[in-house]
Amino acid sequence: MNSLRNQTLVAAVLVAPFVAIYSWMFLWPTVQMVQLSLTDAPLIGEGKYIGLANYERLIQDKTFGKAIWNTAYFVLLTVIPGTAAALAIALMVSRLKGWLQSLVLSAFFLPFVLPVTVVYLLWQWMFDIQFGIMQAVLEPIYGQTVNVWRRLPFFMPTVALLTIWWTNGFSILLFLAGLRNIPKELYEAASLDGATRWQAFSRITWPLIWPVTVLCLTIQLILQLKIFDQVYLFASGGRTQSTMVLVQYIFDQAFVHNDGGYAAAIAVALFVIVVAFSVFQYQILRIRGPK
Amino acid sequence: MARGQTGPVTQGGTAMMKNLLGAAGLMALLAASAAQAKETVVWWDFLGGGDGARMKTLLEEFNAEHADSIEIQATTLDWGVPFYTKVQTSAAVGEGPDVMTYHASRLPLAVSQSTLSELTPDDMAVMGMTPDTFAPATWDAVNVDGKQYAVPFDTHPIVLYYNKDKLEAAGLLGADGLPTGLNGIDNFSAAMAKMQEGGTKWGMAITTADGGFAFRTIYSYLCQQNGSIGNDGAWLVDDNAEKLANSVQVIADWVSNGYAPSYTEYPAAVALFTSGEAAFMINGVWEVPTMVDLEKNGKLFNWGAIELPVMFDKPCTYADSHAFAIPNNAGKPATPEKHAAVLEVIKWMSEHSLFWASAGHIPANKSVQELPEYLAMQPQATYATLIPNQVFDPKSVFAGVASPLFDAAGNAFTAAMNGEVSPTDAVAEMKASLDALQ
Repeated sequence: MNSLRNQTLVAAVLVAPFVAIYSWMFLWPTVQMVQLSLTDAPLIGEGKYIGLANYERLIQDKTFGKAIWNTAYFVLLTVIPGTAAALAIALMVSRLKGWLQSLVLSAFFLPFVLPVTVVYLLWQWMFDIQFGIMQAVLEPIYGQTVNVWRRLPFFMPTVALLTIWWTNGFSILLFLAGLRNIPKELYEAASLDGATRWQAFSRITWPLIWPVTVLCLTIQLILQLKIFDQVYLFASGGRTQSTMVLVQYIFDQAFVHNDGGYAAAIAVALFVIVVAFSVFQYQILRIRGPK
Repeated sequence: MARGQTGPVTQGGTAMMKNLLGAAGLMALLAASAAQAKETVVWWDFLGGGDGARMKTLLEEFNAEHADSIEIQATTLDWGVPFYTKVQTSAAVGEGPDVMTYHASRLPLAVSQSTLSELTPDDMAVMGMTPDTFAPATWDAVNVDGKQYAVPFDTHPIVLYYNKDKLEAAGLLGADGLPTGLNGIDNFSAAMAKMQEGGTKWGMAITTADGGFAFRTIYSYLCQQNGSIGNDGAWLVDDNAEKLANSVQVIADWVSNGYAPSYTEYPAAVALFTSGEAAFMINGVWEVPTMVDLEKNGKLFNWGAIELPVMFDKPCTYADSHAFAIPNNAGKPATPEKHAAVLEVIKWMSEHSLFWASAGHIPANKSVQELPEYLAMQPQATYATLIPNQVFDPKSVFAGVASPLFDAAGNAFTAAMNGEVSPTDAVAEMKASLDALQ
């Protein structure tokens, strides 16, 4: 009994630093954010309590609705297509051997190490309506040159495309590691049994690579829900209200409009959305269950 | 650790601590005496690019001249919202710089946030300045509610750049060697058409992909009709909405008539002009170094820059001012010595702004504008005629560079300039978003 109490005490002491730092650095700011969202505070300084007025404004705010839609659209355009592309590329790269595989892999991984500003400048010029090399691709398809950063229907798909190009190296790496872990004997046995290539993929590769797929999807989902940099950079000076995404709207209200209280209300809304998504995803993973 | 060891360790530690304390005290004394002899001024600016390189030269000169009295420790930060956010947050906790560059157009917001210290008439007297040191519009721009919050260093308007070779070939240069016959919408269009008939691809290079940037031009044309954007709670009242739509229409017509390329980004617009594919360019004076450098390397045609031609009733050009402001560092007011050093920095910079003019900007100090060296500087002296015709941003917390006003313009006018929506609808959209500001 005494030793149990001692153990509890030791455990508490050991856990205390984490709990203290976590409460101080994460929980307390979260509480403060909720408090802030109930005030009309500017970015710096105190505001007065205004109840739920910020949330009432949020519900009627068209730009907020647009930001939710744009964020969801962007997630839709990047998470599953990006992961599928990464799997396809990884399957192809895994068939290569030796130095050639390293070379091709590093070619796919190279964009991932670029900072977003470099990505921005690269693609800005590639798609430039006067001098861009991509216009040679777009013009025959669309019939005329087009500024993809200013024509709304083109904006999100193009940003999604370059985001996949930019961030896919990491997913490819994860998939490649997963593929290497599948024992060769399984494929040998399958081919002895006369399995086709599709059967080998759907019955062996796909089920065994599924945990990695889930990991990639999760990382991508969290990453893309927080989309900010690319949209901010490419839309800057143009139709920012129409291409607004959630994190950008928080930034816009807090730092451009100097409205800390309202920005906090949007942040709380984003927090709720992310929590809801996480629970939803957790449930889906539970359905697939531990095998 | 065994108990027996504690004694000696503590004793040794105390002795060592004493030594350390002594050394630290000595260092502090040395530092204090050095500080008495030499004042350090922490300086923040947002000047990258061509003007940043020139500012660096000025700062080096200042430090060399004041080697035993003042040292400026300068840091260049990112232009726009990042700079102003950093200034606001650091001043609020007393960690701001001693002096910084500031856009005059951003002063009303800064004052409402208590980010800036007021400059008194006594301060101005110490610097040997009065309101008459500056042009009236420039002086007015640094005053908010009757109090002065910054010292103007320059004004940086937009101007019309032109390809002198092409204009000469088309007979559009007057006897004085300057462009002629460009006033009025029809005359200007005719001039652009003539250029294109002569084999130039575009008449005009203008940033049509960025309504926020193009707002500087649109705002100038609004003022040329005696129009005004209005102010908090009363945006675009009376016929001002109509006048603003007229202004947008000017650029929309250039695009739809094929004089100016649609949806063109800033760097591409500059490239179109410098490569000779466009005969004219409307852009800020800060592009002057680009032209000068290209010309020096023999990679540019003969060129010039003039005040914006009059499209409507009177000459008028958008301008902003780089000014020096002193942050209101909360809880850490500057010592009198520090304040004097800061004033000396501002005074020196203002008096040496002739060199700054090589970056294209017009020195705010009138006595510098009158120097023979400035009058010999081309094209700076030519477009300096616009000084009496400047219009600054409205005095609103929502106005200024990288502000909600510019943002609203970007959203409303980008599509309108390129014919996706009508100028009237765009102005209505802009008015709605301005009215929604709170």
